[in-house]
Amino acid sequence: MFEEKLKELEPVFYPKSIAVVGASATSIKAGSVWVRDLRSAGFPGVIYAVGSSGGRLGDLEVFPNLRLVPGEVEYVIVAIPRQSVLELLDDCATKNVKVVHFFTAGFSEIGTQQGRMLEEQMLEKARWGNIRIVGPNCIGAYCPEHRIPFLTGILGESGPVGFVSQSGGIATKLVTIGIARHINYSKGVSFGNGIDLDASDFLQYLAADPKTKVIGAYLEGTRDGTRLFNTMKEVARVKPLVVWKGGRTEAGAQAAMSHTGSLVSSAAIWSAMLKQAGAIEVHSLEELTDTLLIFQQLGHGRGTRAAIIGGLADGGGGNSVAAGDACMENGLKVPPLSSETRQELVKLLGEVGSIFHNPVDVSQAQFRGLPTLFKAIDLVTRDTTSDIVLVQEDTDILLPIYSRQGLEEINEFFIELGARQNKPVIVVLPSGSAEPERLQIEQKLLKGSIPVFCSMERAAKAIYGVNQYSCWQEAKQGRL
Amino acid sequence: MVKSQNLLTEVESKELLKKAGIPIVEAKLARSKKEAISVSREMGFPVVLKISSPDVVHKSDSGGVRLGLANAAQVGKAYSEIVSSIKKAYPDAQIEGVSVQPMAPPGVEVIVGMSKDPQFGPVLMFGLGGILVEVLKDVSFRIVPVTERDAREMIKEIKGYPLLQGYRGQKPASIPALEKLIMNVSQFVENNPQIKELDLNPIFAYPDKAVAVDARIILE
Repeated sequence: MFEEKLKELEPVFYPKSIAVVGASATSIKAGSVWVRDLRSAGFPGVIYAVGSSGGRLGDLEVFPNLRLVPGEVEYVIVAIPRQSVLELLDDCATKNVKVVHFFTAGFSEIGTQQGRMLEEQMLEKARWGNIRIVGPNCIGAYCPEHRIPFLTGILGESGPVGFVSQSGGIATKLVTIGIARHINYSKGVSFGNGIDLDASDFLQYLAADPKTKVIGAYLEGTRDGTRLFNTMKEVARVKPLVVWKGGRTEAGAQAAMSHTGSLVSSAAIWSAMLKQAGAIEVHSLEELTDTLLIFQQLGHGRGTRAAIIGGLADGGGGNSVAAGDACMENGLKVPPLSSETRQELVKLLGEVGSIFHNPVDVSQAQFRGLPTLFKAIDLVTRDTTSDIVLVQEDTDILLPIYSRQGLEEINEFFIELGARQNKPVIVVLPSGSAEPERLQIEQKLLKGSIPVFCSMERAAKAIYGVNQYSCWQEAKQGRL
Repeated sequence: MVKSQNLLTEVESKELLKKAGIPIVEAKLARSKKEAISVSREMGFPVVLKISSPDVVHKSDSGGVRLGLANAAQVGKAYSEIVSSIKKAYPDAQIEGVSVQPMAPPGVEVIVGMSKDPQFGPVLMFGLGGILVEVLKDVSFRIVPVTERDAREMIKEIKGYPLLQGYRGQKPASIPALEKLIMNVSQFVENNPQIKELDLNPIFAYPDKAVAVDARIILE
């Protein structure tokens, strides 16, 4: 489905040649930065710099005009003032450019008649010249696989998550958070005003893209709601689609004569649309990235029965109670461990100072050595009453007890545990005073394919959301 | 505030709905006190009288509705009272007469409506009637066309759903009948793009069926 989109948008994510218009040999311009970033990222195709200054940018010649560029140009990034965009589109048509990305701003988003008219003229020229437009007013494409960085040269690892964003700022956050939390992107795009290629086009592309397994989106509005709704229905059928709709509060309610009319709100309708399409709705950047991380690591819903290890050395029921509350309040179940497992744990760690109900507190292991701790965690993991294991790991408390070396070993154990058996292992690593050490542990775990969250609430919410989606999908298939 | 040519009367609205297979409590227009009494006798008491005017949107607000009229005398009195109340409240209103309909036995009150969203087109709304909608805004929405699954989910989604399943002695409502009604309304608005807004409020839901007691259609 949507296979034709792969061909159509290939020049966006896998261009063989890019010309950056608005680069300068003499002054610092956005275009020059773009050229530098593409080269540092290791873009494998041909890069051309175009700017009125002429001269050289490093070892690259700066062509005063796009038409003077000798070779083929598939993709153009435009960072020139809007007064010159129409003329540039003529040049692009002459050069048989396939796609033009306008980083340039100052169009319909500023709300002027002039801005809107300019967009109409751009579209007309683009249609005439057989050119597709990304933007204007956007950051454009991100594709780690093809070494296309995202603004200021950010380049993460390639992976299974695709994203589509109407906002450049949010897109940048998605990329940077992706790098911090090892959410690896197949492709991403910031499409801004979307006068030509918009959310529907990019969603269709990602649905067809074999490298993309889950899609995240940030949207604020649409020019064609029906097309978006129909697109989302088709996309959500083949891949999980996680959508954050921004701008939920109403600017001004319409006067309505019916009871129904007075009860509708834009936010409620969008929520209904997303639900009806089979997409998962999230309400913040945190929720969006949390959910994408869980999809990336778990693939799909794996159940909602959680075995919680509330304290590795905390020696307190309070943390365990809080952890249990956090899970249950966010939709997870916390069933008691089987009596067999409990008996084994008592044998291993003794009755005093331990909690083996679920949540579990294995603090006594700190007096009996790491192998005992690992055995206890293993026992909890193997218990058939749970689908997921959630471990609360407080660096501040563990560091003095186990030292750096001990913590290394404990986290290596989690990575190995996650790899050798089927039950997802998720670590909650709250921040505290030992930040540098916590960060190191987080990176280690994420690299080792263990999802990490800064709070039990966020972990539980994301796990529940992903599971709901899978249940919904299954129920739908069941009815066919 | 009100555009007479766009607001269909209850009688007109119900005629359209009936043709579309949507269950309604039949209402007949009576242009005089005498007619009101004869129509009531024909229908059978008790009846309900409501003002019929393209200019009056909220009938009950200004004394335009009389429930539970048990005999001819009550009907006659109600007719006069309604007309004078409305004439007082809306002196310029064009009054056709009153609509007469049988008083429906109590059931679970629900509301089904349609409104047009500028981005997504016609949208259906479902909710439990009365306070639950007005104060708590416990409603669900789906974009037209609404499938069987959508209808089922939008009903189950509302917080007051347990009331539909029967609560504290009140009989349950037929969920399949409500699903069918919702889907019929979806089809109806798809077939009639000239409809701008629609309210079926209240719908009385019984264990075996669901019927619209009042209906309001507003055209583009």
